[in-house]
Parts: sequence; structure tokens; C-alpha cells
Amino acid sequence: MASVEITGLRKLYGDVVALSDITLTIPSGAFYTLLGPSGCGKTTLLRTIAGFHAQTSGQIAVDGAPIETLPAHKRDVAMVFQDYAVFPHLSVHDNVAFGLKQRKVDKSAIKTGVAEVLDVVQLSHLADRMPHELSGGQQQRVGLARAIVVRPKVLLMDEPLSNLDAKLRVDLRAELRRIQRDLGITTVYVTHDQEEALAMSDIVCVMHGGIIQQAAAPLDIYLRPANRFVATFVGANNFLDVDRTSGGAVLRSGGADVAARISAEGPVTCAIRPEDIHAHPPGTAIDPGRIVLAATMREISFLGREMEIFAVTEAGEEIKAVARPDPAIVALPPKSPVTFTVDPDALSFFARGGNGDRLP
Amino acid sequence: MSLFHRLRHTDFWTRVTGLIVAVLALLLLFPILRVLMLGFVDADTGAFTFGNFVEVFTRNYYLNGFKNSLFVGVLGTLGACLIGIPLAFFTARFHVQGQAWISTLAILVLVAPPFIGAYAWIMMLGSNGFMTNFFGLFGIETPTIYGAHGIILVFTLKFFPFIYLMTQTSLNGMNKSFEDAAENLGCTPWQRFTKITLPLVFPAVSTGAIICFVLAIADFGTPAILGRGFRTLSTIAFSAYRSELGGRPTMAVTVSIVMMAISMLALLAQRRILSKRRYASALTNPPVKQRMTGWRNTVMHVFCHGIVLIAMLPTLVVVYTSFLKTNGPVFIGGYGLESYERILRTAPEAISNSFVFSLGAVVLITVFSGLISYVIVRRETAAAGAIDFLMMVPYLVPGVVMAIGFVTTFRGGPLDVVGTAGLLILLYFIRRLPYGVRSATSSLRQIKPSMEEAAVNLGAAPAKAFLVVTVPLILPGLIVGALMSFITAINELSGTLILYDGGTITMPVQIYLAVLDGEFGLAGALSTVLLVCTGACVYAVFRFAENRDSAFL
Repeated sequence: MASVEITGLRKLYGDVVALSDITLTIPSGAFYTLLGPSGCGKTTLLRTIAGFHAQTSGQIAVDGAPIETLPAHKRDVAMVFQDYAVFPHLSVHDNVAFGLKQRKVDKSAIKTGVAEVLDVVQLSHLADRMPHELSGGQQQRVGLARAIVVRPKVLLMDEPLSNLDAKLRVDLRAELRRIQRDLGITTVYVTHDQEEALAMSDIVCVMHGGIIQQAAAPLDIYLRPANRFVATFVGANNFLDVDRTSGGAVLRSGGADVAARISAEGPVTCAIRPEDIHAHPPGTAIDPGRIVLAATMREISFLGREMEIFAVTEAGEEIKAVARPDPAIVALPPKSPVTFTVDPDALSFFARGGNGDRLP
Repeated sequence: MSLFHRLRHTDFWTRVTGLIVAVLALLLLFPILRVLMLGFVDADTGAFTFGNFVEVFTRNYYLNGFKNSLFVGVLGTLGACLIGIPLAFFTARFHVQGQAWISTLAILVLVAPPFIGAYAWIMMLGSNGFMTNFFGLFGIETPTIYGAHGIILVFTLKFFPFIYLMTQTSLNGMNKSFEDAAENLGCTPWQRFTKITLPLVFPAVSTGAIICFVLAIADFGTPAILGRGFRTLSTIAFSAYRSELGGRPTMAVTVSIVMMAISMLALLAQRRILSKRRYASALTNPPVKQRMTGWRNTVMHVFCHGIVLIAMLPTLVVVYTSFLKTNGPVFIGGYGLESYERILRTAPEAISNSFVFSLGAVVLITVFSGLISYVIVRRETAAAGAIDFLMMVPYLVPGVVMAIGFVTTFRGGPLDVVGTAGLLILLYFIRRLPYGVRSATSSLRQIKPSMEEAAVNLGAAPAKAFLVVTVPLILPGLIVGALMSFITAINELSGTLILYDGGTITMPVQIYLAVLDGEFGLAGALSTVLLVCTGACVYAVFRFAENRDSAFL
């Protein structure tokens, strides 16, 4: 149990900025996820905390004590690796005992410690097996057991589930979270899988280009993305331009007046989640409180649980809507006209262009 | 900050890198630089001069040596290609009975002591050779083995395994779709072979050819034994060294520099040609072996087995002669173990020395190749790159040069160590280190870096993580490297010949001297001992190496 404070952390590779002025606080016992596309710096940040990379500048403190200059083997931050990194020449028991031996724990304590933690990850029956006799999921449990048995101040996990198949990934996800909660161990978790991040985390920290885009609770990240990058990376989004008129502001597609919702100056874009857009078969009555977007159908993908509709508005903007399958709509031929409606409250606004910030 | 203080605060691998750099500087770079400098020094006055090089390129004695070296080097390599490529093609593309047997024999040829071939051919085709005498009974005059063509024959039969093994590996790794596509587009089998297959294996063939060429240029034993007035640069360098003994070995060194320059140029030329031909290919459609029928099948089998048997012939002859009854240097008919008794009587220390020196070197090589491979594979520093590059150097520097470098560096002063066991061990260490490093490096490249990271992350200091995690994981590579360096160390001749004295004679030197004295029984017995050791190591490599053929390249 320990809090982590990172202040002004920078990491350069030559001229390439891998981490740019990272400042964050991880409360004690939190499950803190670094989420982002590959190359965003999330793994670099994790490995810098572990001591595998030296930072160019900045501080890392655990419970107030600086650790950024300590060699990796003295940091007491245990890591679970993407490729498991289970020692192939040691049995399950000896793998789990490895960290305890380095800490010169006496033999009987090692024995009980290993037994206890193998019980937690449900591997007690495989203690004498060699790693090559284990499945991927079992190996990763060994990786987890080996890390938590030393009771580290911080647990680091580098995409621990990404090498497992989909079903196992979901099962192990829940188990990881349960064990983390039971132990109350401060955890930094790296993933590129947004669903994993949203499902497991107390705090999700979205990274892009070596910069923290937003760090907040999962629901906040989804409902109130801080900028256009977060809005597109976490869940999908439609971006429709807002045209300023004399004294007002209207959606370019559909013409609804949104002036009242916009406080900022300058060009603005409106974001709408695909699941907030309703598609109406021709001839349905439409609630007058909703914004109407008239469009031409491009393509419909029927995926079973839901359908995806791709269309182009009269103003030429592309729209994607996701909804429960409706036979009347799935049957529509391409190029037929289709009416979309949106609840005005579902709109959010961003400064237009690049990675525009969310407008209050 | 004091140096001591700073050392305490640098991490383990930085200190190891420093140690490696220091060792390589002292044992590799410094001696070689000393040698290179000698080439630019006047033998009498010690003043700077280009005169030595002028002499080499103007005096016929040296110019002929230069031409001779190129001549036997090029033709020997060509000969090796001419039998190595077809052998590889047949065994890779057709069902050949006894394939494992063929590759085992080829490897045995590769690792057999280099000069055994030369003197065994003398016993067969020399002026008193048994084939010469046998054919003489029928009035048939056999061609003499002495001179350029003998050397070329020995080089061809000795070095073809490089071409064969490399080409075969390349052919086995070639995507069959290329050949299928050629056929589909209308090529005849011969066109397919010359226009598609051959160009695609060209990188492998040329790499094998360069190894042959460099070894042929540097080879001392074969021209020394078979030359008879046909002198190559390596024999000239050695006799120059002998005649300059006591003075500055400037001409020996100058000739050696020319030798190295030839090898270096050949290597650079090959690299340049290869840089434009990089063929990446996924092995999605592995090659399929075809069955040849009728007379073609017979011819193919006779060719494949004939080649390796002829190449093995010298070895068999050597073993055979070791069991012939002798009286002193004379064979007196019948069989006996006198030759082996004579080893024990006259040169028991040659055997023990060979083992002690080689094992001593192998221990050093194993320790250093573990450390060096880690630095090369895991550390992305400039020093790591430099060390990686330096590991090429011992391949290119002939034993004579390395040994002269050792003599000039370590002779004189309060610590005259020339002729001592320690210096010979260090010579073997530095000359054979690349074999160990290569094996350990390829082993380590297959181990994910997360292994050591996990160990360090769990609290093991870097040195400890290396010992308890990395070393056990690369152990097979270390063992294969140790065996390979042992094989090559125990067969070392040219460098030892310069550095040994009475007490530090080794088996190869003893064999060489025995051959010069015409003591073929003694030479045969010692060679057999050497062959048995080598064969045992080869067997061990087969057991430990994942890819048994390529471990020897």
C-alpha cells in the first residue's frame, strides 16, 4: 500500500520525446490504468517507474520517498510482464519463491508465503510443474503470483492479458481485479484495450504522444472526454461542424441552433456518440424535441446484437450510428434517404481542428 | 569524485563492458597495432619507412608469393564451390540415401586438423606414397602431389564443407513458391536452377566462399608441407620470421599485412555485393524433396558419397598409418602400436600441453563469451557495438600475425612470458573467442529480455540475475561455444609454432615437426589422438546444438 507521485517526468530518445512532462498522482490502493495506442509512451512510463529506463528528468516518489535514482532491483515495485517472463528453468514453486529468496526470507517463511499466494491464484496443484507444462493463462497466474508474493509497494502490469485468447482474457480480468482489491495493492496497469481499462480501473489515464490527455474515473472519461483524442480513442464518436451565423451557431448538418450551448469563441465541432443517434424508418413520427439530421444511406453492417449504419448528411458529413437491429432499416437499399435524430443533451462540443479541447 | 568512488557507483554491466574493452585492447588491438606498425619500420635503424612494402611489391620472391597465394586461394575456393554447390543442391532437393552420414562426414572434414590433409596426401601420392608405388608397379606414373595443384586439391577437399553446409541451409530455407512460379512461367528445370535458385542462394554461397578464401590465404600448414619451392605469403612470412629471429620481424609482418589486406578486401567486396541483394522470404511453402530415378540417381549417389569419402580419405589414411609397425621413422610391414608407444616415450608432454592449454583457453572463452554476448545483445551502447565488430577481427588475422604481435608486445622487460604456457593460453583465448561469443550470442538472442528484467524487478542485482537466470538459459549455447573453441584451439598450429618453446610443445606442432622429419608413424598416431578428441567434441556438439550443421559455421 503506497501512493505514487510522478512530477515533471521526461524521457527523450535522442530528439524523440517519449514522455513529455508527466505529472500524476496515484492514490494508495488504486487501480490506475495507462491507456493509449501503441507508441503513446504508456509502456515507457511503466518501465521508467520499474527502473528499466532512466528518465531524462523528473521525479518518481513512492509514499513520498524518491525512487527515480534507485537501481531497478532495489525499487520494490513488482512487475507482471506481457510475455509472462516466467523463468523456464525453474518450477512454478521456484518461480514464485524467486523474489523472496532475493530478499533473504528464511526457508519456512518462503514455503508458507509461496503456498499462500499459489492458493490465491488457484495454482496450488501445479506447484511442482515446469512452465512449459502450463497454458498461457496459467503462466500469467505464475507471473502474478511471483509479483504479489513479495508484497511490493506498487504492482506494475504491462499488458498482462494481451497474449491470451478473448474468453480467458475476460475471465482473468475479473480475477486480477478481485485479487488486487483483496490485497489493496497500488497497481499501475498498461493496456491499449479501452474495454479492459474501463472495466478494471479506478482511474484511467489516457496517453497520446508522450502526453497525458486525461486522467479520470472511467465514467468521466467516457461521458466527459477532455479533448477530441480522448473522445475518439475511448468509444467512437461522430464529429459534426458547427457554423457560426450572425449572433448564433447552427449544426452544419441539420441546421439545429446550438448557440445557447456554446460559451467559447472560435470554430467549434460537435461530438455525438454513435449510440446516441437514432435511425428512423421512413414514415415514423419524430419527437419534436430532438435534433433531426437528414442523410443518405451508405452501408449497413448487421452484427447480430447491433447494427452499424454509415450515412452521409446533406451537408456532406459522414455519420455512423449504432442501434439495435431494426428489420425496417436493415432492409433499406444503399442510397435511400434516412432520418437520424439526436437528443440535444447528448451533444458535446470541442474546439475545432487538431486535438481540440472540450468546451465547458 | 575519485576514480574509486566513481567505479563503485557505476553499474555492474558498465564495469563488465570496461573489463571486456580492456582485455580486448590488451590482447587483441594492442598486439595487432604493434604488428602493423612494424611493417612501417626499417629493420636496422628502426626509422619510419615504406621500404618494406616497396620491397614486397618489387622483389620477385615476394611478388611470386603474392601471386601464388591468390592463385591457390582463388582456385581452391573455386574448387570448393564446384563440389560444394552440387552436393548441397542434391542433398537439399532430392532424396539421397545416407544424408546424415554425408553431413557428418563433411563436418568431420571441416574440424579435422588442417594440415592432416596435406601430409596424408603425401603418403598417398608423394614420391614414396603408397598410391604412387602401387601405380608404379604397373608402370603408371601418378601426378605428383607437390606444388600448386596439390595445395589446390587439398584446399578444395578441405574447405568444400563450408560451401556445402551454407548453401544447403539456404536451400532448405528457400520458399518453394519461387521455384514453382518460375516453372509456372515457363522455365525449364535448368533455367529454373540458374535463373532463380542459384541467384537466391548466392548470398550463402558467397559467404561460404569468402570463409574458404580467407582460410586458404592464411593457411600455413598445407603450403608448408606440400609447397616444395612453391611459396605462398604465409610460408614466406613464417620463414621471414625465422630468419629475422632476434631482430625486428619487419618483413614477416609486412608480408602478413599484405595477407590480411587481401582477406579484408575480399570480405569488403563480398559485403558490398551482398548489400544490394537482400532476399527476405517467409518460409510459407517449404521445399519438397524429389526422387531421382534410373542412371541419374546412381550418378547422384556416387557423386555425393564419392566426394565425402575422398575428402575423408586423408583422415582414414592417417589413422591407418598410425597402426602400422614401425622401427623409428621406417615402416617395416605389418601392424603394431609402436607409434603410440613412441608418443608416450618421446612426446607425452605434447598431449598434456595441448589439453591443458586448450582447456585453459576454453574456460576463459566460456566466461568471457557469456559476458560479451550479454553486452552485445542487451546493451545498446557504442562500446557494445565496437565489441561486436572486434569479434570479427580474430577470424581475419592469421595466427602468424597474432603470434608475432604477442611476441613483440610481451617480450622483454621484467616479464618475458614468450614461450610460457600462460601466453599460449592467452593466444588461444583471443584467437578462438569469437567461436564462443557467436554461439552464446545466438543463444541469448532467443531469450526474451523480460527474463532478466523479471529477475532484477524481483530484487536480484544485475550480476545475480545474470548468474541465476541468463546463464542457465544460455547454457546450451555456452557448451556448444566451448566445444567449438576447444576443437579449434587444440588444432591451432601457426601461432603456436611461433610462440612455443621446448617445454610448451603441442600436438599440432609435434605433428608438423614429425611430418617435416618424415616420421609419418608418429605423426599419424598423434593425429589420431587429435582426431579422436575432435570427434568426441563433434559428437557432443551434435547432442547440445539445436541446429547441428550450422553450429560449425
